[in-house]
Amino acid sequence: MIIPLLKVTNLSKSYDNIVGCKNISMSLYPGEVLGIVGESGSGKTTLINCLSGNLEPDRGKIIFNINNKETDFLNISESEKRKFIRTDLAFVHQNPRDGLRLNVSAGGNIGEKLMSVGYRHYGNIRSLATKWMNKVEIDKSRIDDLPITFSGGMLQRLQIAKNLITSPNVIFMDEPTGGLDVSVQARVLDLIRSLVNELNLTVIIVSHDLAVIRLLADKMIVMKNGTVIESGLSDQVLEDPQQEYTQLLVSSVLHV
Amino acid sequence: MRKTNNVIKIKDFKVDKSLPFDQEYNFAYLDENTKKMIRRAIIKALCIPGYQVPFASREMPMPYGWGTGGVQVTASCLTKRDTLKIIDQGADDTTNAVSIRNFFKKTSNIKTTEITEKATLIQTRHRIPETPLKKKQIFVYQVPIPEPLAFLEPKVSETIKMHSLSEYGAMHVKLYEDISKNGHIETAYAYPVKTNDRYIMDPSPIPKFDNPKMNNSPAIQLFGAGREQRIYAIPPYTKVKSLDFEDYPFDPFKAEHACDICGSKNTYLDEIIVDDAGNKSFICSDTDFCNKRKNK
Repeated sequence: MIIPLLKVTNLSKSYDNIVGCKNISMSLYPGEVLGIVGESGSGKTTLINCLSGNLEPDRGKIIFNINNKETDFLNISESEKRKFIRTDLAFVHQNPRDGLRLNVSAGGNIGEKLMSVGYRHYGNIRSLATKWMNKVEIDKSRIDDLPITFSGGMLQRLQIAKNLITSPNVIFMDEPTGGLDVSVQARVLDLIRSLVNELNLTVIIVSHDLAVIRLLADKMIVMKNGTVIESGLSDQVLEDPQQEYTQLLVSSVLHV
Repeated sequence: MRKTNNVIKIKDFKVDKSLPFDQEYNFAYLDENTKKMIRRAIIKALCIPGYQVPFASREMPMPYGWGTGGVQVTASCLTKRDTLKIIDQGADDTTNAVSIRNFFKKTSNIKTTEITEKATLIQTRHRIPETPLKKKQIFVYQVPIPEPLAFLEPKVSETIKMHSLSEYGAMHVKLYEDISKNGHIETAYAYPVKTNDRYIMDPSPIPKFDNPKMNNSPAIQLFGAGREQRIYAIPPYTKVKSLDFEDYPFDPFKAEHACDICGSKNTYLDEIIVDDAGNKSFICSDTDFCNKRKNK
């Protein structure tokens, strides 16, 4: 039997009287890409923020099982939690400016995570940073340029490189192609897909764009009003949606 | 009608005419309760080397940025038997040094000196003397910005957390940027150090040339930041290591010259433009050391 990498049981989070997410249970297996879809305000971001340690949920359990080591994410000390987030998790923000230091060069941004896990050799940090710039298709001559001189798509690719360099076990992506125009979206999605295949990444990706989910996700859950209303293999859910709301979502995709 | 006999009238205050004007202040200006509070902060700081202890910094009769933190620490440590030396950029005769020395002369009537070995308490701005510090000396630094992480993380609540969890990886980002821009670590002063293998500390804006002098020093080193209300310390014989990369080791840089007055080759030098043609002269920034060498 394969043990799930992440197991969530009855997770709830509300903001005063407003429900963020309610009684969410799910599991994620190694190498899987899970898509979370739903309209604005359905609790996608609340859920992903709880799972990645950005928010403290009100109730529920989050258990990570990495290399046969179980981590009860909500019951470990602050220092253990931050160390776990630093070494085992990664978070790609919708707006790359939230995930990057804009006054630090591209190389410094990519290298920061390495330095925070103990790398102290400039040459090694630099060559790894160059390698990753290559991987995300940014010209390596831009390594000493500041992110403010980069285009939107390049910034997002830079943020992806920054997050993947320490090979985290679970990667969270919150609308990674949200603010990009369509052709750049396609390029970033293509990049994410090839990295997922090449590195066998485990990813939770939040999007309101079903095309993104169809392209990337093995499994998906559909959220509405803070609860999961449908889940399953993404092909299955997208081809044969059972819930009325999911049917509406699927049928509202424009076919140009 | 209410009785008014508990109202204190101004004429009830009497100035002690037997004292000269300057000694109407308490010894070393600060009142004893303030000194007690600052001494407690100092003791805590000495117990946790490199940790910034908050204290209730007082208004001092000088502007922030002129050493209000250092002066408060000095005032709290002074005893009547102390001999005080004050330096500013290594010199005993610059504005800041002269005014602070006069301040303590006026308010505590203690002996002052310019000779490093003779001083029991030295307050400094931006230098550590060339003459090695010794046992039983107290060395007080004036600190403008005590938080070495401030440029990376503007939130104080977050930097406190980073210190408490030793999350110092981002500190190397600055050094990385230096090397990638300039080919070497450009930071020349306020070069961050790790104290006792635990806390990362800003050594105040001393040149990095002075950083090795903090390591394993027999003197007590105290740091006072008045505006930022923090005191931190290095107890005697404590390990102080400057941050660096394995392939770019720490380099205590100085100008490649000898002092034009005393001829010393291994002291920190000031560069002085001497005429309109741009000719320059290099002289020791430590005036006491330079004078002694010259007179030998």
